[in-house]
Amino acid sequence: MAWGDDEEHRFGGEEEEEELDENDYKTQKDAVLFAIDISSSMLQPPPTSDNKKADKDSAVAAALKCAYQFMQQRIIAQPKDMMGILLFGTEKSKFRDEAGSRSGSGYPHCYLFTELDVPAAEDVKKLRELVEEGEDADEVLVPSKEPALMSNVLFCANQIFTTNAANFGSRRLFIITDNENPHGNDKQAKSSAAVRAKDLYDLGVTIELFPVTRANKGFDLSKFYDDIVYRSPAEDPDASTGVKTSRSGDGLTLLNSLISNINSKQTPKRSYFSKMPFELAPGLTITVKGYMPLHQQKPARTCYVWLGGEQAQLAQSETIKVDSEARTVEKSEIKKAYKFGGEYIYFTPEEAKSLKELDTKCLRVIGFKPMANIPMWASVKKSTFIFPSEEGYVGSTRVFSALWQKLLESKKVGIAWFVARKNANPVMVAIIPSGNLNDEDQDATTPYLPAGLWLYPLPFADDIRTVDIKCPPKPADELTDKMREVIQNLQLPKATYNPLKYPNPALQWHYKILQAMALEDDVPDEMEDLTVPKYKQIDKRVGGYLAEWKEELAEKAKEFMEFRATKRELEDQDMELVERKRPAKRQKPAAGSTAGGPSSGGQMSNAELKAAWGNDTLKKLTVPVLKDILTSKGISTTGKKADLLERLEEWIESHA
Amino acid sequence: MADKESTVYVVDLGESMADCHNGRVESDLDFGMRYVWDKISTTVAASRKTWTIGFVGFNTDETDNVLANDGQFEGYDNISALQPIGPMSMTELRELRSKVQPSNVHGTDPVSAAVVALTMVQQYNPTHKIKRRVILVTNGESQIDDDELDSIAEKFNEKKVELVVIGIDFDDPEYGFKEEDKSTHKKNNENALQQLVDKCNDGVFGTMQQAVEELSIPRIKPVRPFKAYDGPLTLGDPSKYPSAISIHVERYFKTKRAPPPSASTVVVNNGFSQTQTFKDEDEDVEMGGAEFSGVKQMRSYKVNDPDAPGGKRDVDFEELAKGYQYGRTVVPFGESDLSITKYSTQKSFTIIGFIPYDSYNPFINMGETGLIVPQKMNEEAELGLSAFIHALHEVESYAVARYVAKDDAQVQILLLKPNPGLEDDFECLYDVPLPFAEDIRSYQFPPLDKVLTVSGNVLKEHRLLPNDELKDAMSDFVDAMDLSNYDVDEEGKPLDYAPVDEVYNPIIHRMNQAIRARAIDPESSIGPPAEILLRYSKPPKKLLDKAKHEIGNLIDAAELKKVPEKAKGRFGRKDTVKPRSGLDIDSLLESQPKLATISSENAIPEFKRILREANDDETIERAVKQMGEIVRKLIKDSFADMLYSRAAENLGVMREKLLEFEEPMLYNKFLRALKKSLLSGELNGDRREMWYKHIVGGGLGLITNEELDVSDVTEEEAKEFAK
Repeated sequence: MAWGDDEEHRFGGEEEEEELDENDYKTQKDAVLFAIDISSSMLQPPPTSDNKKADKDSAVAAALKCAYQFMQQRIIAQPKDMMGILLFGTEKSKFRDEAGSRSGSGYPHCYLFTELDVPAAEDVKKLRELVEEGEDADEVLVPSKEPALMSNVLFCANQIFTTNAANFGSRRLFIITDNENPHGNDKQAKSSAAVRAKDLYDLGVTIELFPVTRANKGFDLSKFYDDIVYRSPAEDPDASTGVKTSRSGDGLTLLNSLISNINSKQTPKRSYFSKMPFELAPGLTITVKGYMPLHQQKPARTCYVWLGGEQAQLAQSETIKVDSEARTVEKSEIKKAYKFGGEYIYFTPEEAKSLKELDTKCLRVIGFKPMANIPMWASVKKSTFIFPSEEGYVGSTRVFSALWQKLLESKKVGIAWFVARKNANPVMVAIIPSGNLNDEDQDATTPYLPAGLWLYPLPFADDIRTVDIKCPPKPADELTDKMREVIQNLQLPKATYNPLKYPNPALQWHYKILQAMALEDDVPDEMEDLTVPKYKQIDKRVGGYLAEWKEELAEKAKEFMEFRATKRELEDQDMELVERKRPAKRQKPAAGSTAGGPSSGGQMSNAELKAAWGNDTLKKLTVPVLKDILTSKGISTTGKKADLLERLEEWIESHA
Repeated sequence: MADKESTVYVVDLGESMADCHNGRVESDLDFGMRYVWDKISTTVAASRKTWTIGFVGFNTDETDNVLANDGQFEGYDNISALQPIGPMSMTELRELRSKVQPSNVHGTDPVSAAVVALTMVQQYNPTHKIKRRVILVTNGESQIDDDELDSIAEKFNEKKVELVVIGIDFDDPEYGFKEEDKSTHKKNNENALQQLVDKCNDGVFGTMQQAVEELSIPRIKPVRPFKAYDGPLTLGDPSKYPSAISIHVERYFKTKRAPPPSASTVVVNNGFSQTQTFKDEDEDVEMGGAEFSGVKQMRSYKVNDPDAPGGKRDVDFEELAKGYQYGRTVVPFGESDLSITKYSTQKSFTIIGFIPYDSYNPFINMGETGLIVPQKMNEEAELGLSAFIHALHEVESYAVARYVAKDDAQVQILLLKPNPGLEDDFECLYDVPLPFAEDIRSYQFPPLDKVLTVSGNVLKEHRLLPNDELKDAMSDFVDAMDLSNYDVDEEGKPLDYAPVDEVYNPIIHRMNQAIRARAIDPESSIGPPAEILLRYSKPPKKLLDKAKHEIGNLIDAAELKKVPEKAKGRFGRKDTVKPRSGLDIDSLLESQPKLATISSENAIPEFKRILREANDDETIERAVKQMGEIVRKLIKDSFADMLYSRAAENLGVMREKLLEFEEPMLYNKFLRALKKSLLSGELNGDRREMWYKHIVGGGLGLITNEELDVSDVTEEEAKEFAK
């Protein structure tokens, strides 16, 4: 038994509720089934080429590699979501081993390679063997003589989703094929497929098509897939934006092209809120949906494992609430109260509710300001993306678009009062546009994020910390001029910060090690950390400037130090005059302290510390002063004086 | 920070304080105590031993104070120290509450009471080191002897004690309050008190109207500055390249989200429970008051076991190891190995590169802002950082840096913004965290300035796109609703409306005000939120009036149409969803033989199909019945909870469709029967989890008349039924 405290959940609450859309009985999980066409043309290797960047993979190999990468990303980023791989057009057929109503023969030429589930280490391993080592022991990658019936493939997928991903909020079938017309003129086969596709639609399964083509061939959707794929992109922001064909060319391999197309569908588009009334002015309301394209990804927490069985098994924890006498407390007994002056202050549930309800769910503009009026430090939390929807007011999209264009043009932002859901805490937000007018993503500053409006949370007065420090501005000088050169020569690629180039090293490392252990591979001891600056390049590009700058800084600092010393002396003299007039007990002014007898250690400069260390006068410092100094360096202050001294000396040594 | 303080409240409890004046329905005492209780409860809430409070009543029936008790002095009658100076908790607060009652006495000199308070303060803590204050509250009806004002003010000055006088219905021209028909007697007393305060070096004189009004202005709890980093900020790697530079900096928080007060989970103590002798183990504070006690959580662990009843069995905590999940595989680790997945880092703060201002958008910020200043008394750092800040500012660039606050802390990417202190006189860098690759989810959305048709054409004119009229109206509207020159200051410079530092977090202060009020008076009801907390929830009226014309134009140009609440028909309503090709699937299906029964394996599509084709109630009822049977069978056949979500999904579709067809009775009838079967064990064993977790927890309860007005089930009935 373990005891836990109720308090540990108190900060988690808000983050946890974020991903749930209201009134949804479905679980917010995603299941993706890859359906990969195994035909001879899909298996055909690309023409050999001396070009290093040329294609090396057959379409099937590229698709499997994509699936492999997808699987690994899923484990890191969406550990609760499912994935499966269904090969179709195979000579062999395999559905499930279970003695259910349908055996393998039910779906001829469909081979369920990876069952739809949260991937396990074995799934990763099996797929890796097929992808990286080309080990196809079971000869699954052999095309059948006659093609699979698409109606069969679709119904097979239907059954997989129905049983394995019941009640999932998002279910998607990714079809990867190069065959634009699998059934030629066979009308019967075509309409059966269309009916099965409609079944999938009714079941809530979205079909995403990833056509693959070679050379300059196109992929004519109207031959077959237009009857299979459902969408109305213009009216529903949740619908996909269209079918993108993957091909090699333009310096992109088929694999890269496919990866980029599939990656854009990695996460299902879950809305954070929907049917949000967006009140631009009294009497002018449109509806929007909200999304969270930014979300801080953290390594999964530890879990408890039971090792008593054949296989390590996850132990599911259940909590019961008990009172001070360890009596189990019924849910109806539980009340919420606030600690106040050593006692509990209680509100009835109705009162508690009314306290929290300052407003209904809404986004209400109170006016507009130039972007420049938002202080640069006014940041507290990630932003939410909003996009119009016609579900509440017809015409929302055009009004939203007009607002978006105006804000971009005049570099203004809206200021709004925002309540994300019933009972959510109200916040003030700035409404900031993203994207570019007059198109083309090339010059957009955030090509990795969609174009629309963002709700940027503004801090409240309560969130602003005051720091008791004075930092009067200094005039710019030659040092500034030299530093300018440095800055201009060290711009990031494309003069922008592209987060996609900076994977989080902690996350990558965690899963790299975990994967190695789960798959029983060798545990790596190194990893390239892309967040580490390119030191060599820095030295090469601006080393000269930096050296000059340092030299000049040293000189200027010396002058400044001397100037200060003189000033201090003068002040000391003044001070002494004052002191003589007022003989009361006083604190020795910190500015006058020297290495010999400082009274306020936190004020000792590094140089002074170093000097004191040099002439061995550190030990003359009293314990409170030592502690003061250590605190100011962020070092632990526990232990005896000797410990404190040792720690301080270590610090001086490493910073000297 | 002035950490220690002692305050003595001196309150008039004379008989005239029981009267109501100036159209108020509360007595003068209640009115004045609103201010005093609020102040005292703020101190109680802080629970700090170094904030002490004393309370002196005058015009009391009794006499009980240091000066009178000694017998040395005369003229200190009817003054009672109701609470000696000391830390204040709820117990003292309650005690004090019972003592603060108007008496039948009048005529005690308030100044004498203030002298008693001064003596108490001096005796309790004779040093000058702590902030000491006497706050006097009176309605000025008691006679004041103005002969000794000078000597008394001298005493306050000598002891360095602040004197605050807040009078009920006292005139304050500065604030703008004047009592009509004031008696000469009161006027004289007011003047005397005003003189006293004026003679004090540290004195405040004010009217209660203002004090009470200001209670609603939120007070922000000051937080000590926290130093998050103290060390070098580098450009290049000083350990490898002699050219690399290193500036010693300190980093503090600039913003930090203040959380609203959090509630604890408690239970009402049983009447027969013994005395409160136990101590909360994980609480260092002992919670007083017998009414509630805290609730703890006890965890138990279960694993799947096919042989156990219900498919699960309990395991001992000692049998468990820690581990991580890799997909659905669990990887056990010994306690000592857990750290090998932790990326080891060294404390560092180093610049990766620079980007121009215009390539950054604030909406990619991931959180709170930091503030970076040079190390104190370090000339190199001061000059170096200053040059760096100026240079960034001059070339309009930000720096991107890799930040590790201490050894083995997480790596963060920070954007450093220069603030050369031109306006605020504070030269520093501000930093905000930026996202990593994994933090970005690439969601695709259609473009907002054009429409792409299925056939691949680009349209610039469409009902989803604004026409020129709408664009112009929007532009005029946005410009008219400008907040940046809402008002002007004394020098005529434009004043920003709703600047960040004037907008308070409404929930925090609403909760705090309500908790304080409840602590003082447990019987009080919750009032409406203070106006200041909701001030920024709507556009200012002045602005709306100004922009009336533009708003009207925009409304006209927008031509919005509200989607009717329920545009649902029963039969013959054709599903308009079609594949890209526009193929009429429904007709295709209708040409096929009609489905006789719904199969379990393809239940949802078939159920939907039958309802689409239905022309009479009978068909619907039959379909619902069949679907119901499927749900029951799934539950019955389920090993442990294996098929529960599938059953829930089918049930969910049934509910959704019956809502659409406005047939709540059919659903409710089925659900009532199902609940009975689930709880009675009729469906092959203990199926309670299906009921509580999947049906109640999944929002699949009875359809109420709030959802659909033809339902005969009320919200309360549905809640009761869910139990």
